[in-house]
Amino acid sequence: MSEAISQRLKASDYKSANKPVWCPGCGDFHVLLSIAKALAHLQLPTEKVAVISGIGCSSRIPAYLNTYGFHGVHGRALPLATGVKVARSDLTVICAGGDGDGFSIGGNHLLHACRRNIDMTYIVMDNEIYGMTKGQPSPTTAADWDSKLTPGGPGISPFHPLVIALASGANFVARAFSGDPNGTTEMLVDAITHPGFSFVQILSPCVTFRPDQKNWKKQVHPAPVTTTADASQAARRVMTDDGFNIGVLYKGSRPAYRQIVTTVTRTNRDLEKEFVT
Amino acid sequence: MSSARKNRKIALSMEELLQHALVIELEAEQSYKELADQMEECGNHDVAVLFSKMAALEGKHATKIRHHATGVELKEHPPWKYRWEGFESPETLELTEVHYLMKPHHALDLALSCERRAESFFRRAAAESEDQAVKNLAQEFADDEHQHAIWMQEWLGKYPTPKMDWAEDLDPPAGAD
Repeated sequence: MSEAISQRLKASDYKSANKPVWCPGCGDFHVLLSIAKALAHLQLPTEKVAVISGIGCSSRIPAYLNTYGFHGVHGRALPLATGVKVARSDLTVICAGGDGDGFSIGGNHLLHACRRNIDMTYIVMDNEIYGMTKGQPSPTTAADWDSKLTPGGPGISPFHPLVIALASGANFVARAFSGDPNGTTEMLVDAITHPGFSFVQILSPCVTFRPDQKNWKKQVHPAPVTTTADASQAARRVMTDDGFNIGVLYKGSRPAYRQIVTTVTRTNRDLEKEFVT
Repeated sequence: MSSARKNRKIALSMEELLQHALVIELEAEQSYKELADQMEECGNHDVAVLFSKMAALEGKHATKIRHHATGVELKEHPPWKYRWEGFESPETLELTEVHYLMKPHHALDLALSCERRAESFFRRAAAESEDQAVKNLAQEFADDEHQHAIWMQEWLGKYPTPKMDWAEDLDPPAGAD
């Protein structure tokens, strides 16, 4: 074996010693693996990566990685990640969470994170359910998904995250499947290296509350189209697909947000003078 | 899964064959270790022990492949460049098939499928290569995997098929069933 191989950081070097407490069979194990493989492929130093999350099963992910991490409050992963990136533009910032955290509680933040186009990657592990709180429907749950908690189904049309991301200005939009960890790794490498806000929806089965999602591995298929730089064309494609096309669907060229550095000339005392005492 | 992926040729050079063989064993070892941890986390000690044993076996196989690769400059490829027939390397256990209440029988049955997939991969690599040395080594690896499958089957024979209600949990984690 060559010396060069042994000196490179391996995927396992990016995983922490904490053992995941996800249910055996959960798709999030593979997402963790894909992130570790992507970071290893890019050979990013662990101290140059920050993984930020909100709340939910998938939001535990920063604890399982050997990078900087912040397990924030529900739905607020994107504002946190934005703050980290603006303060420390030298870091590779990855924001991660689930469909409930990202599309419901944090839904408004998604719109503005896309619009601001800050250079970071947002990974949503979408299992179409709130798994941590035992199976309530999320914004991506099908209207007719019947369960004990939602007899007859929630009856509400599901949210279309990729279309929303495109309409809001995300610079990179992709859909992956956790059961294809190597393909997901390739997409994450692409997302991390693409300038601006990259959004990757990863279909990640919840085997406990949605055992039907085990079939996703038979349903997913590569998107039969090439990546486009035309957002409206990409939106039309994802509006009409079956939800199981995987691949990079859109790569834009909008410049990433750049912080305007200003020199602060006023002191705290100057500011205090503006308040009534 | 894409049929294009399944049908693409897997003709490999000697270096690529050895690298693929090594990654198969290393990824299987890693996957079994993680499955052992998962099972231990949810209190399924018997299956955790079994997966740990399998991880150790795969580690030994990796050492054997490294021995074969002595003097060969192995080059790590991007994960998506390996020519697997499925989404993952063939000896990696299908994650969605594991269950927190699974029995050793189920674990061995899944492991047997992994050995068979690995055998099939190497048989195809042997058949589709035009280099005689690669054909011979791929054939040897396929025979090894065949032997592992026989051992796995013997091991499986020690564990009877579990009763139909093996997944019944009187205190289930699921509130929506």
